[in-house]
Formats: sequence, structure tokens, C-alpha cells
Amino acid sequence: MGLLDTETGKRRLLTVEIPVIEKYNNGRDPEFRIKLARVGGTLVMTYQLKPVHNIYRLETRLLSSYPTVPPETRVITHLKHCPHLLEGQTLCMWRQGSTRLTSRWDPSRFTSVFAVQAAWRWLACYEIWHETGDWPLPEAK
Amino acid sequence: MTTAHCPLPTKNLFQVGVGSGGMVVLDLLARDPSVSRVSLVEPDDYRPHNVERHLFPRSGVGRLKADLAAEWLKDRRPELEVEVLAVDLTDPAHQGAIEAAVARCDIGVCAVDNEPAKYHFDRLFRAANKPWTLGEVLSGGIGGWVHRFAPGEACYGCVASHLQREAPGDPEAPAPDYSNPGGAVRETTVPATRTSIHAIAALHAVATLDLLAGRDSGFTSALFALRTVDGVFDRAFSPYRFRIPRSASCLICSAGPPASGEDLDAALDQALARLGHD
Repeated sequence: MGLLDTETGKRRLLTVEIPVIEKYNNGRDPEFRIKLARVGGTLVMTYQLKPVHNIYRLETRLLSSYPTVPPETRVITHLKHCPHLLEGQTLCMWRQGSTRLTSRWDPSRFTSVFAVQAAWRWLACYEIWHETGDWPLPEAK
Repeated sequence: MTTAHCPLPTKNLFQVGVGSGGMVVLDLLARDPSVSRVSLVEPDDYRPHNVERHLFPRSGVGRLKADLAAEWLKDRRPELEVEVLAVDLTDPAHQGAIEAAVARCDIGVCAVDNEPAKYHFDRLFRAANKPWTLGEVLSGGIGGWVHRFAPGEACYGCVASHLQREAPGDPEAPAPDYSNPGGAVRETTVPATRTSIHAIAALHAVATLDLLAGRDSGFTSALFALRTVDGVFDRAFSPYRFRIPRSASCLICSAGPPASGEDLDAALDQALARLGHD
């Protein structure tokens, strides 16, 4: 399924994703709103998050195969190398078969804003890890 | 004098995937006297590593699996009509031919092992208002699933979401190696044995014929444990049945308001323009 080139994909965007992004943006300071851009067959969300002390710039990509495959989120702001960080500062957030509900991407229940909230949680863990050396959430099983 | 009455074969089957499991399902279904026509979608070649678990002979290596499957069927039932679509189910360039084949069929059989193709199959059959079935062998062949989907009932998204929370599944995958983010990822699935594949494929075929005949088997999804596995299955040869309702909040099958293709494009362009500005 192509997110931007099939009726199913466009309908998902118009009836699910865009309304929740607009709801997320509503009343939020402009610099923290999600912005959307079409890049080829991919939809790119750019935004900033401030989980605790610092502001981070992020990018979440909804690939052509979204929502069947989870969105990919990477932090553009430079991070120290840490657990749960993959190549290109991509966040390790989804694990198929995990026993933790929020660690398994579920296209029938989750939206792209869930991925933004998961990134916020990840960054909050990062700031704690940065100060203490301990990642506060256990490894997803 | 009376003569035995045999019903004319009239049923059209649409199947995606003729791998080691899909070919067993197809062989069983196509021998059923009610089936008169089969449409096959399978883009892959038959490779040397397939030989161990497949019905096809080693001499077929290098040829299209779809062509080998068609020959297999014609050899056993020469009167069977077989249509071959050696393409990827999700390829946008072939959706016209695929949708036409789905429109002609009475039932769909999904025998693929990747999630995008399963969701795509689900979308095609919900749009056509046709029933379909899906078979899945668990990693290591410890058991497998058979799912039945009927028009208006739970979609694949409803079922996958429900079962991830309610049912046992594959054994745990290993944790990623964060010290080597670009490194190779360890294999998280173990190939199933041929006996496990055939056992689940046979159950998949039985469930398909049941659905084709309009019988209610009393389940949406059935899980069969073939082996005892700590933390997954307490006993071998145990069935688990699940009647899964359609979820009103499912983001896959809860349809939005109808609109034409042009309206969707215009609405999407407007939304992207709105969300693209500072």
C-alpha cells in the first residue's frame, strides 16, 4: 500500500493522521508544532520536543508502507552514544513480539502522534541516562 | 435408473503465495471437485534452498514458482483453469489485474509471510466484499495459526491487534546490540520443519473449504500447538480458538467518509499546505 499514492493511504491520512496532528498542534507554541512535508513517497514530520531540560529537533518519517510498518524517528540534534540508539540517531522504539504493549507497533491502534509521544518518552529516558548512567525503563522483552 | 449426481465445479480461488506452505494449501484446495478456476499471485523464483521443504522437484530451480505451481495443478486436473500473475501483490503497477482477479473469485487464500502483504490482501478483500483465509506457521514450527475473514467481520488489523494482546506467539527475539548500531541483526526466526508446515497448511485448507461452503467453524482464529514449549505452549497438539469481533476503533477497517479520488487529492494537498507552514 502506498501512503501517498493509493486511496487507502490518502484516506488514512485524511481521516486519521492529519486530524490527530492538528489536534496535537492546537494551542501548542508554534516552535513545538509538527510540520508535514511530502518527500517523494514519504511523509516527513519535523518537530521539537522538550522532555525535561533540553530542546531536541526530530524527524519522523511515514514511509510508503506506513501504517503497516512503523514510523521511523531520528533525532537531528546531536546526542551522546547511548542505549536504544541506532544508526543515524534513529530511535529504537518498536520491537515486534514484545510483551510490552507500547513497544509493539500496532497499525490498527496507533497513529503517527503516538510515535511522537514515544519519542518524548525516549528522550526523557535519555536525559535521565545522561545524568545517572542508568536507562530508567527495562529492556522491552 | 438413477445416476449419481455430482455438482459442477464452479468455485474460483484466488491465492497469493506458493511457497512451501502455500503450495500444500493450493494442492489440497485445487483437488477439491468444487474448484474450477485458480488465480495465482507469486513473483518469486524457485531457489536451491527451497528444495528441502517444497513439493516442487529440484529440476524446477531457477523457474518461476507460479509457473511450476500452474504445471503442478494442470498435471493433476487438466480441466482446471489456472491464471498466473507472477507479480508482487503490493506493486501499484499491477493493481488493476489483481483487483480484477479478486472480483472474479469466490474466496481468497493468503499464504504470505510479510505483514505489508497481509494488510494489502485484507484491503483487497474488504473492498471486494469477499471471504478469505490466512495460514501462519510459528517460528521453529512449534505450531501455527489459521484465520477466517468474512465480509463485515473483523479485519486483519482487528485480529492482529487482538491476538498480540491475548494469545501466545513466537518465542522471544534477541535484544538488539546497541554497542554496534549498524551491525548485522541476529536471525529472530527459526525455519519450520516440513511436517509442521504441512500440518498447518492442511488445517488452512480445511478452514478454507469450510468457509467456501458457508459453514461457520465457530472461530475467527485458531491456534494449534504442535510442540510443548516453555512459556508458550503447555501441551502439544492443543487447539486454541478465538472468536474476535470487529473493533469499532480499528484504524484499518473503520472507513472514513466516501470521496472520489480527485476529492481526496485536493483535500490532501490542502492539509499538507496547512501543516507545512510555520
